[in-house]
Amino acid sequence: MKLKALGIAAALCFSCFAASAALADYPEKRINLIVGFAAGGGTDVMARTTAPFIEKYLGDDATVVVRNMPGASGQIGVTAVAEAAPDGYTIGTYNLPGMMARTQDRDADYSADSFTYLANIVNDPNVIVTPRSSDIDTMDKLVAAAKQRDGGVTVAMSSLGGDDHFFLQRVSEVTDAEYTIVPFSGSAPARSALMGGHVTMGIINLSEVVNFRDELNVLGIATRERADMADDIPTFVEQGYDLVSGALRGFVAPADLPDDVRDSLLSAFEQTFEDSEFQQAMRRSGNPTELALGDDFRQLNAEQLELAERVWANDPWK
Amino acid sequence: MYGNLLDALPAVLSFGNLAAVVIGVLSGICIGALPGLSATMAISVLIPFTFGMDPLVALGMMAGIYNGAMYGGSIPAVLLRIPGTPAAVATSFDGYPMAQQGRGGYALQVAVVSSAIGGIVSALVLMLLAPPLAQVTLLFGPAEIFWVAVFGMSAIVFLLGGDVIKGLISATFGVFVSIIGIDSITGYDRYTFGHLELLDGINIVVLLVGLYALPPAIALLEEVQDFDTSNTGRLNTVSIWKAIPGMLKYWKTWLRSSVIGVFVGILPGAGGSMAAFLSYNEARRASSNPDEWGKGEPEGVAASETSNNADTASALIPALTLGIPGTAVAAVMLGGLLIHGLQPGPMLFRDNPQIVFGFMWQFLFAAILLIALGGALATNTFARVLRLPRPLLGALIIALVFIGVYSINNRMFDVYLMLGFGAIGYFMDKLKFPLPPVVLGLILGGFAEQNLRLALRIGGGDWSILATSVTAKIIIALTLFVVVYPLISRWLRSRKSTPA
Repeated sequence: MKLKALGIAAALCFSCFAASAALADYPEKRINLIVGFAAGGGTDVMARTTAPFIEKYLGDDATVVVRNMPGASGQIGVTAVAEAAPDGYTIGTYNLPGMMARTQDRDADYSADSFTYLANIVNDPNVIVTPRSSDIDTMDKLVAAAKQRDGGVTVAMSSLGGDDHFFLQRVSEVTDAEYTIVPFSGSAPARSALMGGHVTMGIINLSEVVNFRDELNVLGIATRERADMADDIPTFVEQGYDLVSGALRGFVAPADLPDDVRDSLLSAFEQTFEDSEFQQAMRRSGNPTELALGDDFRQLNAEQLELAERVWANDPWK
Repeated sequence: MYGNLLDALPAVLSFGNLAAVVIGVLSGICIGALPGLSATMAISVLIPFTFGMDPLVALGMMAGIYNGAMYGGSIPAVLLRIPGTPAAVATSFDGYPMAQQGRGGYALQVAVVSSAIGGIVSALVLMLLAPPLAQVTLLFGPAEIFWVAVFGMSAIVFLLGGDVIKGLISATFGVFVSIIGIDSITGYDRYTFGHLELLDGINIVVLLVGLYALPPAIALLEEVQDFDTSNTGRLNTVSIWKAIPGMLKYWKTWLRSSVIGVFVGILPGAGGSMAAFLSYNEARRASSNPDEWGKGEPEGVAASETSNNADTASALIPALTLGIPGTAVAAVMLGGLLIHGLQPGPMLFRDNPQIVFGFMWQFLFAAILLIALGGALATNTFARVLRLPRPLLGALIIALVFIGVYSINNRMFDVYLMLGFGAIGYFMDKLKFPLPPVVLGLILGGFAEQNLRLALRIGGGDWSILATSVTAKIIIALTLFVVVYPLISRWLRSRKSTPA
C-alpha cells in the first residue's frame, strides 16, 4: 500500500519534472491560433499577418496554425480559447469591447478572468461621418441638429453592443442630445447608406473611412492625438468634446498560463510589434496599430468591461 | 479609366495568370457540381493559401472558381434534381424534366452556353460601367431594398406548384427559418434555445443541402434493385459547337436574364438565387407557351443559368467600390482582396489599377473559358458519374454533403442541422410540399424584414418613409404590375371569349 503511494508520488513528481522540462522547450509542437471570424475578415487578416512573425520570434521552428471558428460575433472562438488547456498551444484573437459586451448581453461561458492577456495590437479609432451632400459638416452643427430634432438624427452603425454603439452612448452624454440608432449588419452597408444620404450621420472606424474621404464628411476622430493614417482629421478632444474610443483587436491565451510560456509569448509579440515589416503589413491591410502588452492589456480590458457594464446598466440595448 | 483597362491586359495574359484562371474554372465546375460544396466555401478554403501568392494569380483562381461553380451547380440540378449551389434551384425546374426525357445533354449545353453569356455580359458591365452603377447602388437605402425583396417574393406565385396551400406552408416555413438567430435591430435572440451556433442564423447551404440533396440521395439508396440508368445516364453526343447555332433563338431570354442578373448583383445582399428565380419568372411570363414550363422547357434552363452567372462580376461592383458585397461569394472575395492589401473604395481603382482591372479581365476570360472547359470537358465527365451504381452514388453524395456542410463553419452542429432539414425534406417530398418556396422564403424573408425595420427606424416609425423616394415608387409600381397584370390579362381574355 505504502509502496503504491510512493509509486504514485514518484510518478507525479516525474510528470511534474517532465512537464517543466517540456515548458522550458516551448514551443515544441504547433500552436493553434483560434480566430473567431471567417477567413478573410478583418480579424482573420490581422491573425494571419501576425502569425509568421510570432513563429519567427518564438524561434525553434515554431509553427502557428490559424483555425477559423466563426459564429456569434466571435463568441464561439473566444469561448474555445477560454476553455482550452493553458499550455501555450492554444491562443486566440480577442476583440474589444465586443468580448466584454457579450458577458453583459448574453450568457457567456467566460469572463474577464478566463484569459491570459497577451497583446492588443490594433486600435481602430471611431469617427463620426455624414454624407457629402449633408450641410452638417462640423461637430457643432451636428450637436445643434441633434438637439433641435430631438431623436430625429439617425445614426448608421455596424451592430449593437460594439465599439460604435458604446461610442454613441458617450456622444449622447457629452453632447447632451438624443440620437436614433440604425443598426446595419456590418459597417460597409452602414457606410453605403450614408453615402446614399439615407441616414443623417454614421459612426464607423478610421480604417473604414480612409478610402472614402471624397465621399464622406469626417467630423472628427476619437483619439487623444491625430492619427498618422489621416492627420487632417481633427480629434474630438481638440474640438472640445471629450470622446476617445475605438475597436481593439489583440491576442489572448487561456488563464493561468505558466510564467515562462507567457514570457516567451509576450516577448514574441513585443518583437513582432517592433518589426518594421510587420508594421508595413498592418498598414497595408488598413489596421492602425497600438500596442498594449500583458498587464497593460489586462488593464485595458478592465476599462472596457467597466464601460460595457456602465452602458448596460444605464441603457441596456436589448 | 479605359486606358487603365488596356494597361492591365498584358499582365493578365502571362502564362501563370492564365493558368490560374483555367485551374479556377475547372475546379469551380467540379466544386459547383458536388452538392454541398459551394463557391463561397471553395474560396474561403483557398484564401489562407493565397497569402504568399501573386495577387493576380490568387484573384484569377477566385474569378475562375466563381464562374465555374455557378455553372457547375447546374450539372446535378439537371441530372439528379439536386442543385449544386443555391442559385441552381431554378435550373432544376426544367433541367431535370429534360434529363428524364433523355435531353439532359442538351440541357447542360444550354446551361453552359447561357452561363458563359451571363458571365461575359456581367464582366463587360463590371469593366465598363462600375462607377456609374455604384451610384445606382447608393440609391437603394433600406426602404428601397425592402421593395426589391417584395418584388422578388412576387416570383413565389410561380413556385407554389399545383397546391397553393401547401406552397404557402412551404414559403412560411422558409420565412420562419429566416427568423432564427439574433435580431440585429434589437439584439434579441430568436429561437436559438441558447445555442451560440444559431445566433448568426441558418446558413442557406445547410438548408439547401438538407432539403435538396439528402432526400434524393436516400432515394438512390432505396433503389438497390434498380440499376437502370437508361435515361439520365446517357447524354447526347452532339458537339457543343454544333449545338450553339440552334440555341441562338434564346437571345431574348439571354438578354433579359443578363439584365436581371446584373441588376440583382449590384444590389447588396440578395445574390444569385434571387436573380435566378426572378429571371425564370420573367422569362416564363414572356413566353408564348408558359404551360410547358416546368415540364422540360430549355428556355427555363437558359433563363436561370444566364442570370446566376450574370450576377457574378456585377456583384463585385458594390464590393469593389463600396465594400458591400452583392453575394456571399463576393463577400469572401473581399477578404481575398484584403489579404493583398487591396481595400475596397474609390481609391482602390486609383491606387491599384493593374490589379483591379486585371481582375476584371480575369472575370471575362473565366466566362469565355466556360464554354470550352465546361462544354467540351466537364459535362461528359460528370454524365459518366451517373452510370455509377445508384447506391454507390447515393452514398457518395451523402459523404460529400457531410464534408461540405462541416467546412462552412468547421463544426458538427451544422451537420446535425442539415440532417434535421434532411428529415423535413424527406417528408415534404413524400407529402408533395414544394421545396423552392422554402428557399425563396429563407433568402427574402430575413432580407425584407431587416430592411423594413431599418427603414422604419430611419423614418421614426412613420410608414410613409417606404414610399418617399422616386426609386421606391418605381419598384412599387413594377411590383404591382407583375402581380396585377396576369389577373388583368386573364380577365380581358375571359371578357373577349364570353361574348363569342
